[in-house]
Amino acid sequence: MRTRKKMLQATLAIAIGGILLWPEPGRTMEAADAPETVEINSLARLYSGVDFNHAMHTEIASCVQCHHHTTGGEVTDPNCIRCHAKSGEADTVSCKECHSSDRFSKDDLSKRDNPALYHIDKPGLKGAYHLNCVTCHQKTGGPTGCQDCHTMTEAGEKMFQTGQHAPSETTGGEHSGH
Amino acid sequence: MRFFSHQRPELPIVDHVKPDGSQWTLKEKLWLGLSGSDYFKQFFRNPVNWLMIGIFAVGIPLLFQRYIYGLSAVTHASNDYPWGLFLGFGLFGMVPLSASGFMLGTTVELFGRKDFHPIERLALLNGLLGYFFAVIFLEIDLGMWWRLYYPMIVSLGPAAVLFLVAWHVATYLSVQVAEVLPALFEWIGWLKGKRIIRSMTLGLTIAGIILSTLHQGALGALFTYAPAKVHPLWLSANFQWIHFFCSSIFAGLSMVIVSSTLIRNFAGWRCDDEFKNSLDDITIKLGKGCSLAMITYLVIKVVAIAHDQEWAYLLTGWGSYYLLELGVGVVLPMFMFAIGVRNNRASLVRFAAVIAVLGIVWNRLNTSLVCFNWQLYQEIPHWKEVWITITIYSLYFLTYRFIVYRLPIVYSWKGEK
Amino acid sequence: MKTTVSRRTFIKGGLAGTVVATVLPEKKSQAATFEGYPDGMGVLVDLTRCVGCRSCEAACNEEQKLPQPDKPFDDFSVFDEIHHGQKRRTDETRYTVVNRYDVPGLDHPLFRKIQCNHCQEPACLTSCFVNAYTKTPEGAVIYNPNVCVGCRTCMIACPFNIPTFKYSSAFNPRIMKCIFCYDTRLKEGRPPACVEACPQEALTFGKRNKLLEIGRQRIRETPDKYEDHIYGEHEVGGTAWMYLSSVPFDQVGFDTHVPKEPILNYVKDFLGIVPMVLTVWPALFAGFHLLATRKDWLKNKNEDTHEEE
Repeated sequence: MRTRKKMLQATLAIAIGGILLWPEPGRTMEAADAPETVEINSLARLYSGVDFNHAMHTEIASCVQCHHHTTGGEVTDPNCIRCHAKSGEADTVSCKECHSSDRFSKDDLSKRDNPALYHIDKPGLKGAYHLNCVTCHQKTGGPTGCQDCHTMTEAGEKMFQTGQHAPSETTGGEHSGH
Repeated sequence: MRFFSHQRPELPIVDHVKPDGSQWTLKEKLWLGLSGSDYFKQFFRNPVNWLMIGIFAVGIPLLFQRYIYGLSAVTHASNDYPWGLFLGFGLFGMVPLSASGFMLGTTVELFGRKDFHPIERLALLNGLLGYFFAVIFLEIDLGMWWRLYYPMIVSLGPAAVLFLVAWHVATYLSVQVAEVLPALFEWIGWLKGKRIIRSMTLGLTIAGIILSTLHQGALGALFTYAPAKVHPLWLSANFQWIHFFCSSIFAGLSMVIVSSTLIRNFAGWRCDDEFKNSLDDITIKLGKGCSLAMITYLVIKVVAIAHDQEWAYLLTGWGSYYLLELGVGVVLPMFMFAIGVRNNRASLVRFAAVIAVLGIVWNRLNTSLVCFNWQLYQEIPHWKEVWITITIYSLYFLTYRFIVYRLPIVYSWKGEK
Repeated sequence: MKTTVSRRTFIKGGLAGTVVATVLPEKKSQAATFEGYPDGMGVLVDLTRCVGCRSCEAACNEEQKLPQPDKPFDDFSVFDEIHHGQKRRTDETRYTVVNRYDVPGLDHPLFRKIQCNHCQEPACLTSCFVNAYTKTPEGAVIYNPNVCVGCRTCMIACPFNIPTFKYSSAFNPRIMKCIFCYDTRLKEGRPPACVEACPQEALTFGKRNKLLEIGRQRIRETPDKYEDHIYGEHEVGGTAWMYLSSVPFDQVGFDTHVPKEPILNYVKDFLGIVPMVLTVWPALFAGFHLLATRKDWLKNKNEDTHEEE
């Protein structure tokens, strides 16, 4: 288990961390310093990864809308202001550094048992991605369908029993509870 | 029964020996002393039997369907209405109608009211068969019917209400078998067996009343598991068991009145003079018991509504339906019983008993089906489910008639007993 | 000889007494102080997060090896299905179902996932007369098909209409119901398949106590977003699966009339009279009998004494 997790972490580091090379730390980051695109694919299994057009999104949204307080921008959420009004730029702004990719694992849950911890409700990495993207897309009229952002893979079609795994007309009728 | 004529004064059989001094064989007793061809002639002359044949012709294949293809083949397989007619009628309806056994057992054996003696055996038989067929209905409804004994031996859940029902119905069924056995022993002529049972009568009767109080009540208490589903007017967490127990008293008595009426009118040849001559008198006394039980029942019903503050519901459509049920099913027969008793009119009491029997079945169907999930939708049973229910009830009727025709239930055995 | 007999009787009586003492009262005394397993797990379902993607349904079907559905899990026409005026419910082919609710005054639909809520004091368990149900310390309400007789009282008792029956089987029927993925996941401390599949983290898995904290935190920090109620905190005595909603719960299909105490409390009135009837009735009716037949008895006695004279 442990080695598997380490391998997973290593892969993650290569996949995401590789493209998140930041310039010298200043007080506030500039959108212009951010990468053009971010490939989000560390969790891809049922759906393929997403080539996230970071540059385009920086034009329509401010950094704090997605990166919270980590980019050092002005924090507006009254809940965050309480602690992060002046916390400045963080060491990292990469999602996976804060949002665990093994949410709900024993490890993750036991860490959250710490009574001193305030962020007991921090979403996992998959949740963070989707909550961030989908919530905003719903408000701004962006695409919200699953396959609008990422296509379903062969494994996905198998689990959703769709595409080539779709129930045929004749075999799907084992329903009796009407 | 036109075959019992003056040419054969020895029929119907009431003794071990024929007039010529020879013994009736068991086979002859079973055939009512008729030859095979005579027996079938009288059998097919009876239109009721043709009706039965018609019902079974469709019902038996349906039963096969149920046991080969599962419950979904003959019912709507509803997950919203897990209990349908098999239990709604077969268990919740049949059991109160069979309360006659413990009622008259208690009256005669415990309270020493010998005046009810002529109808005691009929009441016991009515009880036994009702319970037995309730179990048959259960066996049709249970998904894993072959595990009927599991709650007794394999896996016990003693804190559940159904556990009580299972144990008490099973024990009470044995008690009732024991109570009816003397009639069988007289008929086959095994007198030692009869004496053994007679010596246990008092114990059996007391066991009967304990078990009956508890499981008649428990059937009602089963619905207290669904406080958010059954319509509040038909469910009272505090009084449900008393409602069911109290209504079973007049249900059982009414059923005996109905059954004895049918027997007197359609099987008069089988009744002896004691039974025939005392029946009107007994019917009126039973009617008195019914009207008293009904007024008690009505009072507790009102108390339950007052206790749960449900007056407002009475003004709704469901309230009208509730009042209709109580009015037609309880208040009307209650007054008919009372008037019949006061004016000494057995026929009115008999009519009231028919209404009371239907009324109690109506109440049980309302509780278990019509007003269950009243906030969702009403389930109308599949026609096959209805037909199977009628088939089993017909089997009950035939068994009932078969026994009454033969065993000394409504007549006294003339021979050694 | 005498000692053997009396000893045997003594042992018999003692055994019976022990059986009664160990089997019957134990449950009650435990029930009086039992407040649920402290480390029981649960799931907090946040309706404001669910987008109705049906991933949980698909994952459940795969994990529990349920039959193939009528329609693929990415077919959203199922949200329009209506049977008997009701939206989709659990049945023998599906342990969980997501339904869409168009709430008046809201510009987007809300979705509600239903599955077994894994009550703290489950009605199915307390109504079962063969002990087919178990509430595990991990929080799951699991079912044992090997002792079930198929009476379906659990389906009557469940206030959420969750257990379903495999009516289609004549020889191997059983109750079909969500078991919190107990055998395959929960037992090892892993979240159920639906939780893992949820992209929106609309399903939050954790210790029930912790989930209540999280739920309250969400309500406190974004009061405009949530109804100030965690459905399942007190409903039917508390459930392991709980819900947060942005609109009143009755507008999204919840039964808000379910009692706030365990279903068992409604049955206790009857259970309480059982020992009374069992112990008092025999003496009472034997007494009635003696009173009612006293005249006969006196008469017999007189006749006897006359004969003796």
